[in-house]
Amino acid sequence: MTKNLVVLFVLSIASAGFAGDVRAQTGSAAAAPAATEAPAPAAAPTPAPAGDARKACTDAMNADPQFAAAITKVADAQAAKQRDDDLLAAHTAADARIKNNEKHVVYAYAALWIIAAAFVIFLWRRQEVLKGEISSLRRDLEAAADDSKAAKGRA
Amino acid sequence: MKKLAVPLFATLAAILIAASVYQVFFVAPLQISYNEAGKLNGSSLFFSQKIFYFHVAHAFWLFVAVGVAGLSSIAYLRTRNPKWDDIASASVDVAVVFGAAVLVTGSVWAKVSWDVWWEWEPRLTMSLLLWLILVGYVMIRRFAGPSADRIAAGMAIFGMVGVPFIYKMVGQDSHPAAGSNGVVATLESGMRAAFWLGVAGFLCWYIALVITRVQSTRGEREVRELRERGLDLGVLQ
Repeated sequence: MTKNLVVLFVLSIASAGFAGDVRAQTGSAAAAPAATEAPAPAAAPTPAPAGDARKACTDAMNADPQFAAAITKVADAQAAKQRDDDLLAAHTAADARIKNNEKHVVYAYAALWIIAAAFVIFLWRRQEVLKGEISSLRRDLEAAADDSKAAKGRA
Repeated sequence: MKKLAVPLFATLAAILIAASVYQVFFVAPLQISYNEAGKLNGSSLFFSQKIFYFHVAHAFWLFVAVGVAGLSSIAYLRTRNPKWDDIASASVDVAVVFGAAVLVTGSVWAKVSWDVWWEWEPRLTMSLLLWLILVGYVMIRRFAGPSADRIAAGMAIFGMVGVPFIYKMVGQDSHPAAGSNGVVATLESGMRAAFWLGVAGFLCWYIALVITRVQSTRGEREVRELRERGLDLGVLQ
């Protein structure tokens, strides 16, 4: 509990320093004309630069290994969560892409086999029809030839 | 031997194509490439690349079938031997089937890679035109009457002339390149077996189909001749 409070304290110092730094950068242009119009309030505290906060934090961590471990643990947990989120997003995107790919591969191969099967069925049916037609014509012609032979014999 | 040819080639085709399918889905690695920033390239890769193996194999034999039809048609126009006409006609029929397979698989692949079913780029458009010429050939054979064989022979030669242009155009647009620096020439070693088994399998398939179609065409001729004899003898009316 105490360690958490210390961590929060150090983080708040760091964020205050960061905010001050940002204000110092962004406010310099806007504050210049304002300075000519009205003097800055005397009681305003001077924010610590970010570099100082970082140094204070580093010194505190060097001085107390347990405190350093607690800080590292918090930072590691945040980084691990970010890594997990990124990994999950990447896997979700890859999963969607692979599923989409799979679907289209199935379409392509299905189309291919359907076209091939349709042609084979067409050829097979055509062959069967032709076979039937040829045998029927031959039968008719042979019968006609036999009839004419018989007629010649009778004559 | 002639009777055994079709079952032999069909069996060979079945074995080789089955081996190719196994290689494609269980052995060949996924195609992965990275862009200049070191990031994975877009959705045109990974699993959808599996379409490549049969798409390109069909395109190979489509071009060969059109070439066979064109050369047979030249031989037919020179000699008037119906054997050449039968081969040309059978080869075009098979080319129509292979062309349909190329166009459909290509379109599905375009959808997953480029997010469009069709793109009016020169190579795709020329491929479609070639296929339409082949369909035109089939229509002429069926409906153009007594001189159909000669008109169709001219169309087959016209189609054959178009093939080198299509081949040359591959890689000039968004389609992957062909030739010595093309996709086939630079295939990863794990993908080559899958691809060449498919090519060999579809060659056997093409031969089996052409022989069957030639037999069918000869059967049609026999029916015509028998009918003519029947009409001459007065058996048929």
